[in-house]
Amino acid sequence: MYIIARNIFRFVVVILFQVLVMDHVMLNGYLIPYFYLLLIILLPFETPRWIQLIVGFLLGMAMDLFSNTPGMHTVATLLVAFIRPYLLTLLAPRDGYEPETFPRIHYYGVFWFLKFALILVTIHHFTLFYLEVFQLKDFFSTLLRVILSSILSVSTIVLSQYFVFRK
Amino acid sequence: MRTLLKFIQKYSNLLLFLLLEAIALSFIIQNTQFQRSKLVGLNRQVTGYLYSKVDGAREYLSLKEVNQQLVYENLELRNRLDLLSSHMDSALVTRDFRDPYHYFYMPSRVVHNSVYKQYNYITLNKGKKEGVFRDMGVISDQGLVGIVLESSNNFATVIPIINRDFKLSVKIKSNNYAGILQWEGTSPLQAMLTEIPFHVSFQEGDSIITSGFSSIFPEGIMVGTVESYSLEKGNFYDIGVRLSTDFQHLFHVNVIRNYRQEEQLNLEDRVR
Repeated sequence: MYIIARNIFRFVVVILFQVLVMDHVMLNGYLIPYFYLLLIILLPFETPRWIQLIVGFLLGMAMDLFSNTPGMHTVATLLVAFIRPYLLTLLAPRDGYEPETFPRIHYYGVFWFLKFALILVTIHHFTLFYLEVFQLKDFFSTLLRVILSSILSVSTIVLSQYFVFRK
Repeated sequence: MRTLLKFIQKYSNLLLFLLLEAIALSFIIQNTQFQRSKLVGLNRQVTGYLYSKVDGAREYLSLKEVNQQLVYENLELRNRLDLLSSHMDSALVTRDFRDPYHYFYMPSRVVHNSVYKQYNYITLNKGKKEGVFRDMGVISDQGLVGIVLESSNNFATVIPIINRDFKLSVKIKSNNYAGILQWEGTSPLQAMLTEIPFHVSFQEGDSIITSGFSSIFPEGIMVGTVESYSLEKGNFYDIGVRLSTDFQHLFHVNVIRNYRQEEQLNLEDRVR
């Protein structure tokens, strides 16, 4: 019960932080850090897969409602929630994940976390940006945006590990 | 039946994923219906309230800049007033008092604004209560801003020029040739004017103004200036327009109500 309440609280805070602060951080006129992906990335290992999907869906819907986009964030975030468990199995250390640990830098190191977060964030940004543009005309300029934004998002997520979600 | 159940159980996560993804995709496909749905309407009230609270702080920080803008606008208006009153003195002015306004300007404030997305929207703090409805024009003291998409009781969302769904008929001031203004999604400073035929002559720096064909905007509202042009597609120019409105610092805007819009649309419908 405590964990659920804490996660709902975190959900609200992260969404508000994203729409009120991060959406106004625009570097170079192009790049918005999508910090909110943190919520999906940091879910505990033993979260049932259907809950991950529901969380992904709700998270995407919340972002869509706040940024007035129809379903684009939802599609991308849901995809991330679906891929996440497979990726976790793929990246598992030799003797598996230890109980009572979370997918965070504190437990598994910067390098592991960077790999994990970067793959998920890139998949998300790739889907989101191409859905937004919805054409292949500006393929390379969009690709550049995907790459740069992914780096930016991952850096904010990694930074947050040192300041907010330390353990 | 047993095998079916087993199948569903085995692939339940995949099925859930596909179901939710289908819902999300249907939103994308029915883009405009989504914008008008009850859910979004309710959300507009909530986000509008939230954004207007935060905006209070943001506005306070930029008071100086806004003041300066208003001073300039005042100055400009005063000059025009002087000019006009000298005309009025020397001419007999006839005016129909039953229908005093053609266009009516309502001041409003921007409470939320996005610039760097492909589909940017602006939220205003005036809604149905103040008489802001769908398809009204929005301008700032610098020039054209956009068109009202939907309004709730206290808020309205606006499609600005910098939204890929935006389309408006505008013309080149120097020769009155009209074309379609669209946004390519690349920069909030620049839009694209198309459908100007190849024989038209104009220069970089020429003003682009509203054509007045649309019944939303009066004629002659500043849109931007010609920044670059090319003739790649054969018979029509692609003209890059430098927008006169600075969407990154947008606070005070005016909503335009056209009192003769309905009349004009009715007439045009009848002909069609």
